[in-house]
Amino acid sequence: MLFPTIEFGLFFAFAIVLVWSLNSRNLLKKWVLLGLSLAFYASWDWRFLLLLFASGAISYLVGLYVGSERPFRRAVLLIGVFLDLGVLCYFKYLDFFIAQALTLANALGVNLPLGFVNVTLPVAISFLTFHAISYIVDVYRGRLKASRSPLDILIYISFFPHLVAGPIVRAHEFLPQLASPRRPEDFGFGENLALILGGLLKKMVIANYLAVMFVDPVFTDPTQFSRFDLVMAVYAYAIQIYADFSAYTDIAIGVAALLGYRFPQNFNQPYRALGIGDFWRRWHMTLSSWLRDYLYITLGGNRAGKLMTARNLMLTMLLGGLWHGANWTFLVWGGLHGAALVVDHAYRRSRFYKRFGRTPWAAALDWAVTFHFVCLCWLFFRSPSLDAATQYLAGIVSDNGAASIMPAIVWPLLAAGAFTQFIPPDSRFRLGEWLDARGQAAQIAFGAVALYVIVVMAPSASAPFIYFQF
Amino acid sequence: MTPLLRRIVAIYIVLAIAVFAFPGGLVSWLDDRNRSGWLDAPLAVMRGVDAISAAVGVKAVGQRLRKGFADVIGEDS
Repeated sequence: MLFPTIEFGLFFAFAIVLVWSLNSRNLLKKWVLLGLSLAFYASWDWRFLLLLFASGAISYLVGLYVGSERPFRRAVLLIGVFLDLGVLCYFKYLDFFIAQALTLANALGVNLPLGFVNVTLPVAISFLTFHAISYIVDVYRGRLKASRSPLDILIYISFFPHLVAGPIVRAHEFLPQLASPRRPEDFGFGENLALILGGLLKKMVIANYLAVMFVDPVFTDPTQFSRFDLVMAVYAYAIQIYADFSAYTDIAIGVAALLGYRFPQNFNQPYRALGIGDFWRRWHMTLSSWLRDYLYITLGGNRAGKLMTARNLMLTMLLGGLWHGANWTFLVWGGLHGAALVVDHAYRRSRFYKRFGRTPWAAALDWAVTFHFVCLCWLFFRSPSLDAATQYLAGIVSDNGAASIMPAIVWPLLAAGAFTQFIPPDSRFRLGEWLDARGQAAQIAFGAVALYVIVVMAPSASAPFIYFQF
Repeated sequence: MTPLLRRIVAIYIVLAIAVFAFPGGLVSWLDDRNRSGWLDAPLAVMRGVDAISAAVGVKAVGQRLRKGFADVIGEDS
């Protein structure tokens, strides 16, 4: 059950009435929230629920222990983290590591008695793990008191708006919101309606057309396309992945707000970034801050000199890359970003930057280099294998001798994607305030017209959400 | 009407307008899931909505616009 589907429309129409009708009976409402979230997750495969319960039980018990004054808190925390990561590794990475071990053994002429486990990757397992780890580590660090309610922990981990593809919500942001009835007036209706409809437009029109009509065919067989098409498909993918992923989190934030729960922002016009560090403060912001707080700082951060800082940046980004999937392409993607962060870090501290870095020409150069570097990295991210990525790059150099067949629709879609990067960041708040000031009739007219236009424009074929697979 | 109820009513009306303008999607969706007949009642309601939408010309406008847009951008299907 994904957001822009009839299933989810019906599910949400039912959920919003049920949840708000129980607002004054908070405990019952929380059970209903859990029931809705479990039903949402079970719509893929009911067996995945066992994973959710296991993750909730580990988080609850470990949280209680590490939040107390008992001995061996650190050891128990490590056991909790290893259990969470162990489940993730088993489902997501075991076959990848077995394949690497077999390849290496084959090269060395050794016969390894290993076989693939071939398990189905449970939906949302990565996001589930992030939430579970952040809870127990935050309790251990004293940032949060351990929750005495297993119900609250299960809702935190499984709450359906963020369950599949984030944003990654921290327990200290979310759990206090479960403590008391919600006040609908704390959440602007117009703003969240605009956020959801904007998300639908980005996903159903911009991302889907780019994927279906141009990006997918080019990346499926890059040898058939001209240099121009290959280069343009990389730019198109940059816009597609932004429109796709930011749409999912916009809808998640809007849906949660309409139910009375606040989620953190996840994107802030990332292709305006001046420098790769700035890019990561704007792209998938909740993942960046998660990696910073639970990985980079745990590794030592920038506290032990330049060399160790560089190592920590590289390790953080390599693991961040690997988190996206068990494939060398993601490792290369993470490695490139890690290396760029090391260079960016050094550049921002250089005398050259202090003298010239804030001039307009340096900012323009910063933007151009950052944007094109990010696009180059997307090429690896999108390619199914390293061989395919190399073939793609070779095609850009050699031109493949093909004529350009890029559909004309790509230009306005790229322009629409670029437009999303340059509209004032507070546009949705202003539109929301404007809608709220005009009342229900204006909200209905705006919602109906926007939804009508989106359905008219949406292609008949649709690409799945990119981050759904992670 | 409370502010909360006004919001919920607004959401339902927006969804209802979308369903009335493009009833075909929900009819097929229900039809696909009605193997044992447990969705006969909602399916009958939706077929009625579909018929009314077609009779007043709303459905045809939506279909024409979708086809027109698909032709403009060169979508095959």
